[in-house]
Amino acid sequence: MSACIGTPISWPRLERHASGPTDATVVQHVEQCAACRACLDEIMRDVVALPVLAGAAVAAKRARWWWVALPAFAAAALALLLVWPREPHRAGNVALLKGGGEVTLGLVRERSGAIREDATTFAAGDRWKVVVTCAPGHGTWVDVAVVEAGAKAADHPLAAAHIACGNRIEVPGAFELTGKIANRVCVRVAAEVAPARDLLGGDDTACMTITPE
Amino acid sequence: MAAASDLQAAYRAYGAQLVRKAERMLRSREDAIDVVHALFTDLIPRWNSSVDLPYLYKAVTNRCCNLLRDRGTRARLLEREHAAAAPVGRVRMDDEVVGIALIAALAEELDESHIQVLVARFVDDMTQDEIAEHLGVSRKTIGKRLDRIREAVVKLREVA
Repeated sequence: MSACIGTPISWPRLERHASGPTDATVVQHVEQCAACRACLDEIMRDVVALPVLAGAAVAAKRARWWWVALPAFAAAALALLLVWPREPHRAGNVALLKGGGEVTLGLVRERSGAIREDATTFAAGDRWKVVVTCAPGHGTWVDVAVVEAGAKAADHPLAAAHIACGNRIEVPGAFELTGKIANRVCVRVAAEVAPARDLLGGDDTACMTITPE
Repeated sequence: MAAASDLQAAYRAYGAQLVRKAERMLRSREDAIDVVHALFTDLIPRWNSSVDLPYLYKAVTNRCCNLLRDRGTRARLLEREHAAAAPVGRVRMDDEVVGIALIAALAEELDESHIQVLVARFVDDMTQDEIAEHLGVSRKTIGKRLDRIREAVVKLREVA
């Protein structure tokens, strides 16, 4: 089904008609045009599972009240600093965010539609997403780097992104791992500006190793 | 198309149609969702009420083109496109449905203003009047850009 009886109704116009006020021209056209009617039906039937846009509301509200709460936060932070035991050990998939606690790295693998959150191996065609967990109320820049075993230089498959912290927050974008040797997938975090793309391995970096199948 | 005063409201109102638009370009729902989610995430620190639907449409077009410029991603999407059912393609260029390969090839040859017209005309099926309003330029300019796009396609076919 491809031929329209006249001038096709554009997708944006069909979208407007589907979600807003009725467009009489569209109604009249789709009554007679099977091609455009199929497109409109496609829009009406479609369900898009949008991921949560974490942090947008929080970011807007935070700006209004944080000045008022600042003294209380400062006192609480000081008290915590005095009583909290020092962290004896940090796991490899945990990075330290200056002023924002720990950021835990997680990886999600999609293979032919099957999602695994515990995968440690890769094959051609797998899509990988990075998720991070950090204390709500903070924000962090996250830059993803992939380093092949033995290599010194890292690839950066995604643009650095600023995210609002929470539980398993998706870093925008997905990437693939290729080759026949293990890859270390790392995130470097920073509070204020996108992290520098230089040597990895400091406290601000968390990594996981993924091996080929 | 009015501007949304709130980012979350805009995401809820326009997210689904922007995903469908990105999917028309990329032929992949997962990648389309990634594109739209990343766009709104990047807009969080710099959202303002002047961000409207035409702006978001243009931004999605740019981001999809950037994905297609990446060879690895392009190869993966092409593989999926071949495996998927043929698109409806109501507006065609010389009887050809404009797909991933052609957009990617033209993205190497043409600047952003031409790519916006290409996608608006052959992916979003907009008329020249709609494109002119959408991009804020005259219909004559749209006509000239379409001529330039057709020249580039002819050149590509000669090389192929």
